[in-house]
Amino acid sequence: MSLELENISILKQRSSIFDPVNLVIKPGEITTIMGPSGCGKSTLLSAVSGSLDKVFTLKGSVFLYGRDMANLPMEKRNIGILFQDDLLFPHMDIRGNLAFAIKEKTSRAQKNKIIDTALKTAGLKGFEKRDPSSLSGGQKARISLLRSLLAKPTALLLDEPFSKLDQTLKAKIRAFVFSQIKKMNIPALLVTHDPMDCPEGGVILNLNKEKG
Amino acid sequence: MRLFGQEKTYIFPVFVMGLFSVTILAGFIGTLLPSFNYLPVIGHTNLSLSVWFDFFSYPGIQTSILVTIFSGMTASFCVVTLAFLFISVSYENALWKFFEKILSPVLSIPHAAFAVGFGFLIAPSGWMVRLVSPVLTGFHTPPDWILLNDPLGISLTIALVIKEFPFLIMVAMGALGQLDIKKTLLVGRALGYKKEQIWLKVLIPRLYPHLRLSIFAIIAYSLSVVDMAILLGPNTPSSLSVLVLKWFNDPDVNFKLLASAGSLCLFFIVLVSIFIVYLIERIAHFFLGPWITNGKRSSFLALFKPFIAFMGICIILFTIISSVILVIWSLAWQWRFPDFLPTTWSLNFWAKGMVSSFDPVMTTVVTGVASAFIGLFLTIGCLEHEGNYRKNQTNQNQNSQDLIGLNQIRKKRTNNFIKNIHYFLYLPLLVPQITFMAGIQLLLVIMKMDGYWITLMGSHLLFVLPYMFIALSATYLSFDERVTDQAMLLRRSYARVMLSVKWPMLLKPILFSFAIGFSVSVAQYIPTMLVGAGRFSTITTEVVNIASGSDRRIMAVYALIQQCLPLIMFAAAIIIPKILYYNRKGMQV
Amino acid sequence: MRQFFLIFLSLLFLGFLSQAHAVDWEEIEKKAKGQTVYFNAWGGSQPINEYIQWAGRLVQKKYGVRVIHVKATDIGDVVSRILVEKAAKKLQNGSVDLMWINGENFKAMKENTLLFGPFSQNLPHFQKVDNQKKTLKYDFTVPVDNLESPWGMAQLVFSYDTSQVLKHPETMSDLLAFAKKHPGKFTYPAIPSFHGTTFIKQALSELIHDPKILSQKVSAPDFEKHTQPLWDFLDALHPLLWRKGKVFPTSGSQMLSLLNDNEIFISLSFNPNSVSNAIENGELPNTIRTYIHKGGTIGNAHFVAIPFNSSAKPGAMVFANFLLSPLAQARKANPKIWGDPSVLDIKKLSGPDKKLFDDVPKGIATLSADELGPGLPEPHVSWVQALEKEWLKKYNK
Repeated sequence: MSLELENISILKQRSSIFDPVNLVIKPGEITTIMGPSGCGKSTLLSAVSGSLDKVFTLKGSVFLYGRDMANLPMEKRNIGILFQDDLLFPHMDIRGNLAFAIKEKTSRAQKNKIIDTALKTAGLKGFEKRDPSSLSGGQKARISLLRSLLAKPTALLLDEPFSKLDQTLKAKIRAFVFSQIKKMNIPALLVTHDPMDCPEGGVILNLNKEKG
Repeated sequence: MRLFGQEKTYIFPVFVMGLFSVTILAGFIGTLLPSFNYLPVIGHTNLSLSVWFDFFSYPGIQTSILVTIFSGMTASFCVVTLAFLFISVSYENALWKFFEKILSPVLSIPHAAFAVGFGFLIAPSGWMVRLVSPVLTGFHTPPDWILLNDPLGISLTIALVIKEFPFLIMVAMGALGQLDIKKTLLVGRALGYKKEQIWLKVLIPRLYPHLRLSIFAIIAYSLSVVDMAILLGPNTPSSLSVLVLKWFNDPDVNFKLLASAGSLCLFFIVLVSIFIVYLIERIAHFFLGPWITNGKRSSFLALFKPFIAFMGICIILFTIISSVILVIWSLAWQWRFPDFLPTTWSLNFWAKGMVSSFDPVMTTVVTGVASAFIGLFLTIGCLEHEGNYRKNQTNQNQNSQDLIGLNQIRKKRTNNFIKNIHYFLYLPLLVPQITFMAGIQLLLVIMKMDGYWITLMGSHLLFVLPYMFIALSATYLSFDERVTDQAMLLRRSYARVMLSVKWPMLLKPILFSFAIGFSVSVAQYIPTMLVGAGRFSTITTEVVNIASGSDRRIMAVYALIQQCLPLIMFAAAIIIPKILYYNRKGMQV
Repeated sequence: MRQFFLIFLSLLFLGFLSQAHAVDWEEIEKKAKGQTVYFNAWGGSQPINEYIQWAGRLVQKKYGVRVIHVKATDIGDVVSRILVEKAAKKLQNGSVDLMWINGENFKAMKENTLLFGPFSQNLPHFQKVDNQKKTLKYDFTVPVDNLESPWGMAQLVFSYDTSQVLKHPETMSDLLAFAKKHPGKFTYPAIPSFHGTTFIKQALSELIHDPKILSQKVSAPDFEKHTQPLWDFLDALHPLLWRKGKVFPTSGSQMLSLLNDNEIFISLSFNPNSVSNAIENGELPNTIRTYIHKGGTIGNAHFVAIPFNSSAKPGAMVFANFLLSPLAQARKANPKIWGDPSVLDIKKLSGPDKKLFDDVPKGIATLSADELGPGLPEPHVSWVQALEKEWLKKYNK
């Protein structure tokens, strides 16, 4: 009953790029969308986040905790996104990157506390002053997730977030991300082409387009 | 992968750095010595401070200096602020796309030509007042308002803003390609931020380092501008740069000493101003951090969106109307206040102007094309070197994974090295022209090298090269090296890969930077006068000469011819790739 | 008998002289052939530029001398370039062969010995120059000493718009009264521009109690005492000027545009024909006329000079000589061409030469020679610097 995709289809020049999607994701659950590249996985995510390109037309509705997202701009939807690129802001230190996500009217002391705790959970204690570009890929990925979560999103979208990590790191980061989503108790939608990425026991949806 | 020829690219930056530092240093010394009373030819051989005392006790000099600082700094500040706000609210929207199309013709309008048109637009007897006179105002003779040449230099400041704003936007357009704007906006919005706020808090701070040198150049230009200041600036007293030029040209040769002191003072003002900006950067860095992370997601900027867009439109509109006015003047016979259009028309001045400007136009074209060609050669050489250097460095970084700290240091060093080349390239834009060109003239005469076309062209190159570098570097350095790597695997010849793959793919930006180089050469006045020993008249020296007379109609003809030359070049830069690649969709970007 | 013999002898001597002279000149013409003369001259006026082009074409055809007009914005530029060349010991092949010059620039060239020696006396056409005119012997009170060859005459004239002003002022105090009646409708170019300085000199010579003192070198106590009426006048005038005296035009040329734009009703120029010329080519309406003040206005002359390091001295002399020819002088005097008054003495001309001048039309707004009068002499050159300095001190704030 939390993130609902109702009869979603996306049209490009009047033809739908995949079969209509119906999904309900409960808090703490992760639903995975699989499919070959070019099938429209990421486009579906952008429809949910509210950043759908103008060349597409969206049909169907997205509900978040019963609220219709249709007319809300992206920044009002309160949906977090995680990309395969970490997209940390290179001109700020780690603290700045994280503080950027924290809601207004939080005192400096509180912010520091929040950041400190967050870094601890990610095993990156004391990284506040570090330059993002000095971090390893895995570290960056964790910071990137922390940043998304510190904005207290009511849902999280994951756009192939592990595809750039090497095999040994992948498992570690994946476990970290999934545990955080559980802890936050928010619905999450994961897009990937790697079956290994799917969380155990999660719903998997294959995005197809019927021939003809 | 490193192939023959690739290692040798260091020659380019070394050559450019050598050329630039030697000429500027020589010019600087040629100005420094006279300011300490050393100019043997007029019998001054005792080093002393007397010139400086004379300089600071010259009537009205304080006002001159203050006006210079006020107009230059205000203009720079407004340009930068306006440009940042404009980018923030209109990136990629319809207005932005319009700007992308119109920017190069707007930029190619020479400062002097714009100043003439702008002056006639806003003067009390100008077009704006004529539009409503006498019907609405009752003015049969123009009102006695101080709109032009105002003592504070406000009209000059506005004109500078209008002329420099498109320049900064053009530089920004190049640099923005290097930032991951789309994704950054997505991340920011996913965190709940409004677009404008993401621009202000994330993208502009990242854009700033790319624009820094251009901003310094704008500051230096605004402080030392001569042609626009003569036409629009105050004259009792004039701004310092105009005063210096007057002294240089004073028949009383003792004023030469004063002029040297004045131009050094001007240089000092530029230095201090740039240093102040540096301090502001530091302070901003300190205060902006907390502001960026204060968590505020909405921005008041959204409210001003229409206003900022309006300012942008106004700037373009003023530039276009200034040119339209020139067209009308060039076709006028009699045109008096309060007539909105000339009462009688004539093609006489075009007929005369076309004939008498033929030789200067030829000189201009030959010099412009030659200096832009050499400029292009050197620019690409430097950029190729820089690209190779960067690639090398990243390879090293990837090879040694554990030495993160060490790589950081190394990376910083590389950056410093690259930055140094940039500063050298920018030197001619950061030092006021008058400060070192007069010294260079002396040097050239001593070496008996003045009055030759080749030295004239070389002096243009000093100013052509930096602008070409600004125009090309962003696109050139962000070229996808994988393509050339692939090609090298196939052809294994550096030169051939460059000629057959990389440069054809970059044809449009290369031609564009060529056009910019050409238009910079066209606009040079002081170097042409001083180095060319008056033997070479270009269309710009003709415009300035005619502008010292009273006939606005022939002046308009010359100014329009002057405007046309770069325009033709820009048109060619747009059309040639279209023709060559008419059937290649991937090249139509 | 003895007298007769003396006359004969002197005639013989003169004949010999002129013979020698002629040979010399032929020699010069021969040397000049094939030379290129870089003539540095102000290039701000299309009619003047066209005139120089015309002269260049003719000299090329007649004498095989190629003339290139190097246009200068300010001849001071050229003076400083020659100075730099001297500094660099470039004693030959200088960049300037002939230059249009007078006044302060001439003084600077002369003082710094940047001029080629006396030459104008050798020019055949120099014989017809009006040697009665003091302004041709003293350029702004500096003795010419044949270091420059006369080219044209100038005299300060005022111009006014007859559609706006019924009766033009006749004295400086009239001018002040006009300014009171029409505030903002008069101005003069800022000092140290040529026209501005001339206006100040004119005002001083009208207002000073003892005009004779102006021909002498200025001394500090004198200066204060004698110029007080001038400063009183300017103090009263400035608030009534265009832009309340806070902004000044920068040149005489700009005054013409202001007059055309109706920004001002009274203007000034240094060529009695310039208004006629401007009406002729549409730059001014046909309602503008010229006038001068009672007691006359300041007049002077302009010249061409050869720098010490000119690479084509014979060529320069041939061109200077041509510029003095009745043909060139008459064409120059024509308001439809340029309208610059001739330096020749019409009385010395006869036949076709005289006819050339008889055929010159009188400009529509040009005063006759009688109306212009002899012209006031320039004050001693030392006054100029003192006046400019004081003006800047007082009004450059």
